[in-house]
Amino acid sequence: MTGARWRSGARDAALLTPALAVLALLFGGAIVGVTRVSLIPLGQNASLDAWRDLFGDPLFGDAVVFTLRTALISTTLAALVALGLALAAQRRGTLVRSLLALPVPVPHLLVATVAVVWLAPGGLADRILGGLPVTLVRDSGGLGIVLVYVYKEAPFLLLLVLAALGRGHQESDEAAAALGVTPLQRLRWVTWPTVRSPLVVGSIVVFAFALGAFEVPLAVGPSYPPTIAEYARQATQGDLISGQSTAAATLLLSAAGSIALAALAVRAARDPQGG
Amino acid sequence: MAERLSRPAAGVLAALVAVPLLALVVRAFADEWRAPALVPQQFGLRGVEVAFSGSSGEAFGNSLVVALAAAALALLLAWPAARVLGERRLRHPAPVFLLLAMPLLVPSYAVGTGLTEWFIRLDLDGTLPALVAGHLTFVLPYVILVLLSGFGPRLTALEEVAQVNGLSPLRRMLWVTLPAAAPTVGAAALIGFLVSWSDYGTSLAVGGGRPMLPVVLLPFVGADPQVAATLALLFLAPAVAVLALAVRAGRMPL
Repeated sequence: MTGARWRSGARDAALLTPALAVLALLFGGAIVGVTRVSLIPLGQNASLDAWRDLFGDPLFGDAVVFTLRTALISTTLAALVALGLALAAQRRGTLVRSLLALPVPVPHLLVATVAVVWLAPGGLADRILGGLPVTLVRDSGGLGIVLVYVYKEAPFLLLLVLAALGRGHQESDEAAAALGVTPLQRLRWVTWPTVRSPLVVGSIVVFAFALGAFEVPLAVGPSYPPTIAEYARQATQGDLISGQSTAAATLLLSAAGSIALAALAVRAARDPQGG
Repeated sequence: MAERLSRPAAGVLAALVAVPLLALVVRAFADEWRAPALVPQQFGLRGVEVAFSGSSGEAFGNSLVVALAAAALALLLAWPAARVLGERRLRHPAPVFLLLAMPLLVPSYAVGTGLTEWFIRLDLDGTLPALVAGHLTFVLPYVILVLLSGFGPRLTALEEVAQVNGLSPLRRMLWVTLPAAAPTVGAAALIGFLVSWSDYGTSLAVGGGRPMLPVVLLPFVGADPQVAATLALLFLAPAVAVLALAVRAGRMPL
């Protein structure tokens, strides 16, 4: 019995190995590579100069604040919109659900292009309404970035939440209603525990993407302040040698921040008092 | 009581998606569209001519080849791993899921920059295999996570019935496993393709100047909206194909 279990375990390990080995090699190699670049500038000796430059640059501080703010607002709004739409759509037909999910396969850069055509100064919305009350594209507050992320990410989170709100949830909800539990109490004690985990996991992925991607900020964001990823890209376009190291240090810090925040969020989601 | 399908809601949602995209088509073929006019003053093919006079054709080809190769390679690698994870055969799956989650949390530009350090040493920088490897770092976790939902006790029970009835392992795979898992395999392949197709950060870092569609498109978004709209329509083509396939798959009886 023990031998059979051992053989089964060994077979499972063998089946997992190809994918995990490739992933560990590529991801591990990338992290080692980016760490190396941050510490050893091209053709020079190892030093912490890139890290010192980074922490001494006020522009980097502005980039961190701007990126965290836009990523946090985008993720929170996308999660709220997804939750609201899920509650409204959970008992509707397949057509409504499919339409709500339509933006999921559309690339971020394409949504940003559409946002520029519609919402930029002189864009279609501007022409139709005879002027927009606020600047939405390339504004200093990053409103355009938030709009694109909410339009693109809310449907992704919605899919995760709707998958959790299956038949099991519907039966529990109907049973609670039959017992006279109010809609608000059902939302708190039946629906929220069902959707909390997928919503948190999805939100972590959205937040990490908003923290590290730069195609949307480059297309619809302001020229100042840059996001963290834009700051890294700008560094590579400056000094050929030290710029690469500064960019690598920036990206490494961003990656570490994403992983740390994800760990905290997962811990909070598991904590029964957390929600 | 379950509500019936709300046609007005569906109409509003369809308009919310279709109208912005329709404007992209008009913008792509509007040679002259000065504010405050709501209709272009002159239609033409300037956008198409400019978009395809540069490296866009090559970029489309590169993005297509890299996305197809990354998705195919990811499916091959993911299949055995997804079986083990989907059938919940691991006693301690947390470390495996942690490894799968890591690339999804790290900026793609960071992964691209780190990998470029090695690709330069291996004289692979800017090559298509390097781009496929770079994209695989993100494509593989997504493909495994989607694919594992297709495996479970239902499929295992079907395979056991086939085995009891004397089907050889090859016939079991061809007649039972593949048809049963086909919708999930299709979804995983499409997600894998789209993750690679949409990627900007890795393509920029690893590409070493080799044109990829998102990298070629971005500078036009601010500089020339007509060319940007033309390239965006090209960029949208696979997403439309995905939608068409998904609708078709949804109509097929299981």
